[in-house]
Amino acid sequence: MMTQIRLLITGLLLVMVALTVPLKAEVLIDGFLQNLQGARLDETNPTATELTASETRLQLRAEHFGDAGEFFARLDFVYDGADTGTYNWELREGYFKFQLGSNLDLKFGRQILTWGTGDLVFINDVFAKDYQSFFTGRDDQYLKAPQNALRADYYTGLGSLSLVWTPQFEPNRLPTGRKLSYFNGEEIVGESQLFSSTVPASRFDNGEFAFRLNRTIGSFSSALYFYRGFYKNPMGVEMDMSGSTPIPLLVYPKLNLYGASIRGPMLGGIIWLESGFYDSRDDVDGTNAQMPNSQLAGLLGFERQVATNLTANAQWQVEYMLDHDLYRMQNETAGMFVRDEIRHLVTSRITKMLADELLTLSGFVFFSPTDEDMYVRLSASYKYSDEITLAAGANIFDGKYEATDFGRFQKNDNAYLKVTYGF
Amino acid sequence: MKRITMLLTLTILTFGLTIVTKTAAQNVNEIMKKSHLAYYYAADDGVGDVTMTITDKRGKERVKEFIMLRIDEEDGGRQRYYTYFKKPSDISRLTFMVHKVPDGNDQRWIYVPSVDLIKPISADDKNSSFVGSHFSYEDVSGRHWTEDTHTLIGDSTINGTDVWVIESIPKKEQKGLARKLSYIAHDSYLPLLENYYNKKDKLVRVFRADRVEEIDGVVTMTTRSMENVKKGGKTVIEFSNIKYNTGLDKSIFTERYLKNPPRKYIK
Repeated sequence: MMTQIRLLITGLLLVMVALTVPLKAEVLIDGFLQNLQGARLDETNPTATELTASETRLQLRAEHFGDAGEFFARLDFVYDGADTGTYNWELREGYFKFQLGSNLDLKFGRQILTWGTGDLVFINDVFAKDYQSFFTGRDDQYLKAPQNALRADYYTGLGSLSLVWTPQFEPNRLPTGRKLSYFNGEEIVGESQLFSSTVPASRFDNGEFAFRLNRTIGSFSSALYFYRGFYKNPMGVEMDMSGSTPIPLLVYPKLNLYGASIRGPMLGGIIWLESGFYDSRDDVDGTNAQMPNSQLAGLLGFERQVATNLTANAQWQVEYMLDHDLYRMQNETAGMFVRDEIRHLVTSRITKMLADELLTLSGFVFFSPTDEDMYVRLSASYKYSDEITLAAGANIFDGKYEATDFGRFQKNDNAYLKVTYGF
Repeated sequence: MKRITMLLTLTILTFGLTIVTKTAAQNVNEIMKKSHLAYYYAADDGVGDVTMTITDKRGKERVKEFIMLRIDEEDGGRQRYYTYFKKPSDISRLTFMVHKVPDGNDQRWIYVPSVDLIKPISADDKNSSFVGSHFSYEDVSGRHWTEDTHTLIGDSTINGTDVWVIESIPKKEQKGLARKLSYIAHDSYLPLLENYYNKKDKLVRVFRADRVEEIDGVVTMTTRSMENVKKGGKTVIEFSNIKYNTGLDKSIFTERYLKNPPRKYIK
């Protein structure tokens, strides 16, 4: 089904491009060619390959705009030599965008979606993420996975209202065991047990609805959020009783999310505050051991330039699990890891630019004192010329337990090199 | 009696001198104000294509192309800037917006379309480089004339144009800059040359108006450059397709259009 939709959309887009080219030679085409090589640093990682990345990527971007609206497409062709050697392509973006009247902007098609205030920490941004890319050194743009969606933004003098409807649920892309290992609930596994999950059936009421009300107050930008859909990670378990023996399936539990945020300048920098209530609709009172409990989340962040070409930020996130007593009892009975009622996460990003901003050094640390785990991202990127960028980096995980958010990836430490030619 | 006459003469002289100095000071401040307005606040709004060529100290060139929109809320006061990057490829389609607040902190945002991300940037350091060039943010958006003490040094000519030579000393201590000598054209009030000196009174940076043209009745610098004499390297900014008073709407300089470039101006 998905493949068919993908093919259909791509076909339509290609036809559009083909049609527009001869009419007006106004289709702008650019893109890049990139080679990424990455290797694991932990030899005990049970993955299928010791390469965390070995890919050559061609990205083509096509853009056309006229009086009626505009069209944009981003198409990736990838040769992946890390595992068995596969050739793949993906439409990263392919959408039409136009104004209806003077207050309404519409954008439909395959698109990247982002909102909220956090720096690589997300509360109200429940649009699809690609952690396979994020953990292996692909460009930042790949952290966001595209969604096939309809987006409407309505602007008034008071503020704006945004609505995003994603008819077919789009989950996060998580490590599968091929290049990166994961925690299966009992242990860290790789090629012996490739990750699989079951997405909600394709039905109208299984679509995702995300709303945002945005308003600028002075120099601060404030927002209210609402989301109705599913957890983006398969946090629930359902038993498949169709066969002779019941098989546990990883599923995406129903989620309602209510949130708010504010961001603006303060103390010579930028401050942000965000909160959210995760209402786990499949486990409203916390009694279902197979489904996640509801939780409250809060985030406080601050960023400023501390010296010329040196920017630093810090974030503090708190998650408070509801009905933790029940959860603890359930997990202790099952002999499973028990998470703290309150989880703290602190992060910091430091970016230093050198040599006329041609060399960028960046470090990002996630550390949870309650989960006792961490994740460090290091990168150095040098713009050799307008066309050529050289980059090197590392992803380091550590954790006391295998069940925590970063602890589960603790064997995935890797280092990578990347060369990009832009055109 | 003689004493009284002398005292009186001295008093009158001092008084007179004070008046003369004050007038000169007023004049020089007036020149710097007019220069600032001619340079940074030409017409009520402006649109133009920009090619920025950055040459590093080894002679290697990098070229950035972008479109710039500007609207003035008040001459010498608040302004809004919008920048749409076209080249190089890694920053193409990126947009950048500044709400300039001369007596406060500017607000800056960038929008990265590949991740659909609007990010406010802390705008504390006005001396940091503008997109990796030899121009600083302040060079691009203008340093308010009241932030320096100006002295008229004399008259001179640059390529046949009569100029005032004016020395400006920052009122507040500034890193790496002790004084600036500006050569301001009598006719257009544009600075044709600026020499920046460090605390050891060494020439560190040189600004030049390399090309001045009249566009829509406005005398405009269409090519300008900043050379780093101390470290080497130079940035040349060339404007083309400049249009003034196009009737730009203030609403274009908001998040809505940061995400959706106004195609009337941005092609």
